[in-house]
Amino acid sequence: MKLKESVVAIRKISQVALLGMGMMTLPLANADESSCSPFTPLVKGQEDFVYVWTLGVKGIGDESDKLVTVDVNPKSKAYGKVIAKTSVGGRGEAHHMGFTDDRKFMWAGALDSNKIFIFDVATNPAKPKLVKTINNFVPKTGLVGPHTFYATPGRMVVAALSNAKDHGGQTGLAVYTNAGEHVATYPMPTTNGGDGFGYDVAINPNKNAMLTTAFTGWNNYMADLGKLVKDPEAMKQFGNTTVMWDYKSMKPLKIFNTPGAALEARWSFKPGDNWAVTTTALTSNIFVYKQDDKGEWQQHKVGTIGDPAKIPLPVDIALIPDGKGMWVNTFMDGTTRFWDMTDPLNPKETYTKKIGSQVNMVSPSFDGTRVYYTTSLLGNWDMKGKADEQFLKMYHWDGKELKPGFEIDFYKEKLGRAHHMKFQVRDLKTLQPLQATVESKTKFASN
Amino acid sequence: MRVIFYLFILFMIVAVLYMAVALLNKSGNTYEPYSKEDALGLPAMTIPEDNPLTAEKVALGRKLFMDRRLSQNNTISCAMCHVPEQGFVVNEIATAVGLEGRTHKRNAPTIFNVGYYKHLFHDGREFSLENQIIGPLLAENEMGNPSIGFVIEKINSFPDYQGLFEQAFDGQKANLERVNLAIASYERTMVSGNSRFDQWYFGKNEKALNEREINGFRLFSGKANCISCHTINKDSALFTDQSFHNTGAGWSRNNKVLSNLVKKEASKHTFPVSLAPGITVEVANDHFDKASETPKNDVGRFEVTSNPDDSWLYKTPSLRNIELTAPYMHDGSLRTLESVVDFYNVGGEDNPYKDQRMVPLGLTQEEKADLVAFMNALTGSNVKRLEKEAREAYFEAPVP
Repeated sequence: MKLKESVVAIRKISQVALLGMGMMTLPLANADESSCSPFTPLVKGQEDFVYVWTLGVKGIGDESDKLVTVDVNPKSKAYGKVIAKTSVGGRGEAHHMGFTDDRKFMWAGALDSNKIFIFDVATNPAKPKLVKTINNFVPKTGLVGPHTFYATPGRMVVAALSNAKDHGGQTGLAVYTNAGEHVATYPMPTTNGGDGFGYDVAINPNKNAMLTTAFTGWNNYMADLGKLVKDPEAMKQFGNTTVMWDYKSMKPLKIFNTPGAALEARWSFKPGDNWAVTTTALTSNIFVYKQDDKGEWQQHKVGTIGDPAKIPLPVDIALIPDGKGMWVNTFMDGTTRFWDMTDPLNPKETYTKKIGSQVNMVSPSFDGTRVYYTTSLLGNWDMKGKADEQFLKMYHWDGKELKPGFEIDFYKEKLGRAHHMKFQVRDLKTLQPLQATVESKTKFASN
Repeated sequence: MRVIFYLFILFMIVAVLYMAVALLNKSGNTYEPYSKEDALGLPAMTIPEDNPLTAEKVALGRKLFMDRRLSQNNTISCAMCHVPEQGFVVNEIATAVGLEGRTHKRNAPTIFNVGYYKHLFHDGREFSLENQIIGPLLAENEMGNPSIGFVIEKINSFPDYQGLFEQAFDGQKANLERVNLAIASYERTMVSGNSRFDQWYFGKNEKALNEREINGFRLFSGKANCISCHTINKDSALFTDQSFHNTGAGWSRNNKVLSNLVKKEASKHTFPVSLAPGITVEVANDHFDKASETPKNDVGRFEVTSNPDDSWLYKTPSLRNIELTAPYMHDGSLRTLESVVDFYNVGGEDNPYKDQRMVPLGLTQEEKADLVAFMNALTGSNVKRLEKEAREAYFEAPVP
């Protein structure tokens, strides 16, 4: 055996050993901070800043997509104010963001231009700096619509929505190094019940499990919503599956029939919990994923959101820290809903509140007492005219009622459409330990 | 001495012949982009004298056609609305989606056999392939470029185009005219004949069509009278009279469907929305109003001529490769050939401007099925090759 092969073999043996150890010993930390990867350190106290990835709008301000930084520390003189904005040029359909595993950099994607912008959010968290633009996502991967940015040790998993050949829904996952170099591309499965669609990704390192969901391609997510819903063939071009993968090998373990475009995927990170949840945009259902007694992953339809016949369009979801509750936003009626997830197989809606004429993203603080909302879903799906409110709103949550904190009107401020939010702190040393343990970080380091 | 003289003469003859062949090759006269077999059933195409077909121009035109960088934000190529693997249309949506998701009110037509058409676009507003490309390049809801110069400067800056225009155009760099000449040349090679119908009708192969398809042809040219607009000549068939007609499809969309969107009436009407396979709900017409742009008016050829007699007239499309080019009608409103036949079987949609030939046909279920079977026999034999050639020219580069 040559030296190189020996090293590879030793590494593989070590990984298997670590995997075994990890399975037995991994203590999962409390909860997630909205949609962060478990490999990313968390803001467990008061967040200092909220970054809002904002879509440029023709006729508004500089018309460019931009990263907006809002000071959200109540002790600050600038509390509730925009303190920085970085325009990236163009209107590329700014959408989601994700931190690297050290939370020093934040990747922000554009679903139309396919550009990925990497911001330094560590050197001066109050004023993120654009340090790199990945402009070869399409030639490297063949994919279109970089959606989710999910940190793994030293890597970023990018879940895409579409492809460059026909702008349809066949898509895949791409893996990049933290430096922005493409490593590999994995197509969404199209056999054994797979439909090839993609959207979100979420990993449970304890179980070496990765859940992916499925939305629709560029032809649909870029189209006017009113036109789309009246086009029967276009409405057939939505994903109807979710996939549980073996994360380490990046191979599908089981493909589920999940009708109606499952969007956000979240794992409960409460110690001992090993269930994931998603909601479907079109059919307004809640699905939970748990292993059965034999260790096989099973999908459970556990709830219905609003009146599915009226297509309320459930969009963003967020689990609260102890895994006992979940915020669900419905876009069409601008309503946020709290679901009691104490028993994840029998959840119950316990609270609703209208946030605005439209609402998309929801991000609770780690302790759950502050909840932030933004409005934009997709540039051409958002409301038109007066109903097109664009804001960031913060509420205080006491477990019973949402009480207004502050609000920023993104149109009055000439910013654009407010979309994804991420929290950051002024002093990164205050970030709390990884949810995933050191062992699990080592285990996945070579992916 | 005499031998040397004869050898010299022979050498001169060979040299002259070689030069003649080289010249012919350079002028493209020997270039044959498609075989005689591919064109069975199609007439001879008129190639403009100032744009002879050459291999270099066709290859360049194909590359330009597939290049997403030709749009303002590098996302939309010609091929994104004319997808090779989808019959050079988009099968998955009724009407095309343009730059930044902007709505196009009409369905993207196929480019199969486009070199034969006298009029281009559904309303016939353009007459030559050389001029046609300018519209989509600049249209805000298509490729959205701010100017022609913007596109040309971009093309000239791309390393992968270095030398290609020079090779195709006697050493000259890209400009608007040469972009047009190249893309038009490529489009003229999209000849797709030799369907099973062609083999049966023009090739006299009796076994090429089955009984059902033959009966469909009889209906097509008889009881259903499709042939009055989708014409077949003695030696060739384009399946279009290259003219404009009001079937009621455009009038209906503009004056019935849109009128249902008027606020006071909207909630009285519903439409079905398919949420997932087997799950459909009826939704009030105004449910998505707040999230919808106002649908655009469409009065067909009137928009070109301003002549009221041209209201809601649209160009007769060819039926070649029709099974590959769903959805149908100018607005992509009919998904299947069966639904198209149903539309004609009831005489289209009544309106004051309707073509007098649009009358109820009285076709039985079996006859309708035969008609569809016949149309499915109009698929060219070289479709896969044309798809493959287009896809081989597909190229992605980092965007600016």
